Amino acid sequence: MSEEHKSASHIETIQLPSPTAWPIIMAFGVTLGVLGLVTNLGVTALGVVLVLCGAVGWFRQVLPHEAHEGVPVVVEEIAIETERPHVEQVVVEEHHREHFPLETFPVLSGIKGGIAGGIAMIVPALIYGYLSHGSIWWPVNLLGGAGVANWRNPSIADITQFHWEWLFIACVIQAVVSILVGLLYGAMLPMLPRHPIILGGILAPVLWTGVIHAFLNTVNPFLDQNIAWGWFLVSQVTFGLVAGWVVSRQGRKRTPQSLPFILRMGIEAPGLEHDQDHEEDHKA
Amino acid sequence: MADQTFPIGGTLDLTPPRVARKTFLEWMHEWVTTVDHKRIGLLYIWFSIIFLLVGGAEALALRIQLATPDSHFLSPDTYNRLFTMHGTTMVFLMGMPFLFGFANYIVPLQIGARDMAFPRLNAFSFWLTAFGGAMLYYSFIGGSGLYGVGNAPDVTWWAYAPLTSRAFSPGHGVDYWALSLIVTGIGTLGGAINIIATVLSMRCKGMTLLRMPLFAWLMLVVSGLLLITITPLTAAQVMLTIDRYLGGHFFDTQAGGSAVVWMHFFWIFGHPEVYVLVFPAFAIANEVIPVFSRKPIFGYPAMVAASVGIAFISLGVWAHHMFTVGMTSVDNTFFVLSTELVGVPTGIKIFNWLATMWGGKIRFKVPMLFLTAFLFQFLIAGLTGIILSIAPFDWQLHNSYFVIAHFHYMLVGSIIFAIFGGFYYWYPKVTGRMMSEKLGKWHFWLMLIGFHVTFDTMHFVGLMGMPRSIYNYDASRGWAHLNMIVSLGGAVQGIAVLIFAVNLIWSYYKGKEAGNDPWDAWTLEWSTSSPPPVYNYAVEPEVRSRRPLWDLKHPEDPDWSYE
Repeated sequence: MSEEHKSASHIETIQLPSPTAWPIIMAFGVTLGVLGLVTNLGVTALGVVLVLCGAVGWFRQVLPHEAHEGVPVVVEEIAIETERPHVEQVVVEEHHREHFPLETFPVLSGIKGGIAGGIAMIVPALIYGYLSHGSIWWPVNLLGGAGVANWRNPSIADITQFHWEWLFIACVIQAVVSILVGLLYGAMLPMLPRHPIILGGILAPVLWTGVIHAFLNTVNPFLDQNIAWGWFLVSQVTFGLVAGWVVSRQGRKRTPQSLPFILRMGIEAPGLEHDQDHEEDHKA
Repeated sequence: MADQTFPIGGTLDLTPPRVARKTFLEWMHEWVTTVDHKRIGLLYIWFSIIFLLVGGAEALALRIQLATPDSHFLSPDTYNRLFTMHGTTMVFLMGMPFLFGFANYIVPLQIGARDMAFPRLNAFSFWLTAFGGAMLYYSFIGGSGLYGVGNAPDVTWWAYAPLTSRAFSPGHGVDYWALSLIVTGIGTLGGAINIIATVLSMRCKGMTLLRMPLFAWLMLVVSGLLLITITPLTAAQVMLTIDRYLGGHFFDTQAGGSAVVWMHFFWIFGHPEVYVLVFPAFAIANEVIPVFSRKPIFGYPAMVAASVGIAFISLGVWAHHMFTVGMTSVDNTFFVLSTELVGVPTGIKIFNWLATMWGGKIRFKVPMLFLTAFLFQFLIAGLTGIILSIAPFDWQLHNSYFVIAHFHYMLVGSIIFAIFGGFYYWYPKVTGRMMSEKLGKWHFWLMLIGFHVTFDTMHFVGLMGMPRSIYNYDASRGWAHLNMIVSLGGAVQGIAVLIFAVNLIWSYYKGKEAGNDPWDAWTLEWSTSSPPPVYNYAVEPEVRSRRPLWDLKHPEDPDWSYE
């Protein structure tokens, strides 16, 4: 498809591939080749002959040089114009995207908060056990016992005594749940960036305490009867407040939505981030 | 600015029309031997239109049969053949050739090329598709069936084993089906390779991949998808032929084969095939919606990423067609989740099209009417798809008319509507004449009404328990009234398609002169004459942004200053 200038008056010849019948002959041959399977092998033989002829003809079209034909061209200047010459920009409010939080807490801070909260909430739980049943092992055994498959209708004495296997299980449950809740908390932080302590520290524990209270009687009636829900709530709120406090000390980072697309794609664009930061510093 | 023009020397050419009239044989010879991408594109499109009418007529025959209970309009055998041929025709002989027709005609023009990368392979691919289609329909007369008459395939378009074995399908109907799909499959592979090579290696100066029109992007992605998905289908057809001719047992469960293997082979092609068919609809939407909203496409990089994402995810969802087979719960869960994952990039596309329209000065010409309807119908098709992707829900509705309604919402409500919009959009470029707006609006509104009467109602018939593919039903089932409504809607759609056909022919002779750029559009194909000269562009165009014609029309506010 090369160009070949014939004269200086803008008339030129463009070389385009020559029309050829070999592709249709070859396609017909392929079709007959398979059609013979359901009709007659003679049809297949004819198809094979056509395919061979088509292949040879095709090769001769492109080897040693591709066959071309010259198409004469008359070049004229043509105007590109629009019926609507006026450009109107879509009017957008200056800060129309500010409903996205520009900054939020990193997810990792939620995990750290979960670990800290998980440790802190042990304190009110142990106090409750000591004050109500004279044993700090009461809440430990309740939590650990719930995770043991063969734990059936233990006596009060059983629950107030030390059992190392129930302590081990309680520690595993406490650690896993605290980290998972912390992870969930961290994932939700972009949705509640302004008041993490109030929302995550008080409101959320109240909500999930209510939810657990509502279904625990169905899941595990024994555990439900032995939980003092007031103390349970205190323990959960302790978790939330400590987790929220830890999170709020971790520092914020810019939300990805407020970054240019190229940065969100992880492409290095020197100067881009710096310029934006600089602009924001300037505004501040 | 209204009185200003911006000449771009050499980009546009007017070739003097040839004076001498050709004889019919000369005219025929030109078309049969052509390697010009535009002519091959038109051949694909004419081929698709013919099979749209054939497949549509088959659908109408099926709907007449089902309009009333205990009907005997068709014999059971004929009914089975017609619905097998309807499905096969619409997927392989109408939908996919439309894809290649549009891609062939538009892509080289859009990227500033003179032709496809392999012009002769292009012609070969088309003729394989054409002869494959002809071979399939030859089965009606050449099948030497049980009673000495032809037997077209009657095993549904998904042709599950063991129904396709010689014991249950004597005669040659299944053989014609398998062999013709092998032939068209080779043509499809050739077409896909050609599009990929063209897009990757023949773009004009300045057209980086991220300045390429989204139409060309979608065609690139769909071609890559085709390379991956056509191969298992072709392999399965070869295995089926070996089973039937050489005593193989790939799908013969009693001899150690597996009927479920056929399902896997078929659906690992079959579900990505839905995206193969819908991507051209996306491609058309990407061109039409911005031009008629008078705004650039919203989120171009996200649209590219979403297209590639859909293609990747679609390769991992096939077994949601097989929830009722009895897979393990792990398999079910995987395919539930992977199927629902497709909703994410698809949602990105829908939101971006809406965001493109938002705040725009929308012109509801016929192309935009079709694409607006496409947008909402595609959304509903996607939502019912999400419903069916939930395995327990699918267990209740699988093989019911709810599924038929869902995928016709996709194939007709989304794909066919977008293709019609594409016709009205590019017809002026192809013929130099505008299609009648009045006939176009009749076509649109009748199609819209007919479509919703048919396929909205079909959801309810499915929910009431009507199984798919049944030949007849008893009046006591309570489906009669709704089936009559479905069939009446089908008839309205048939009238709409006839109006479209009339419009195509009438406008070719009597349509208003279109000029080069009737829609005030922005991609390169509108910078050449209508119809374009055989060489497309005398001088290779050079672009600096995604909307090169916008830059020329608005030099005071060019796109390249933003991109």
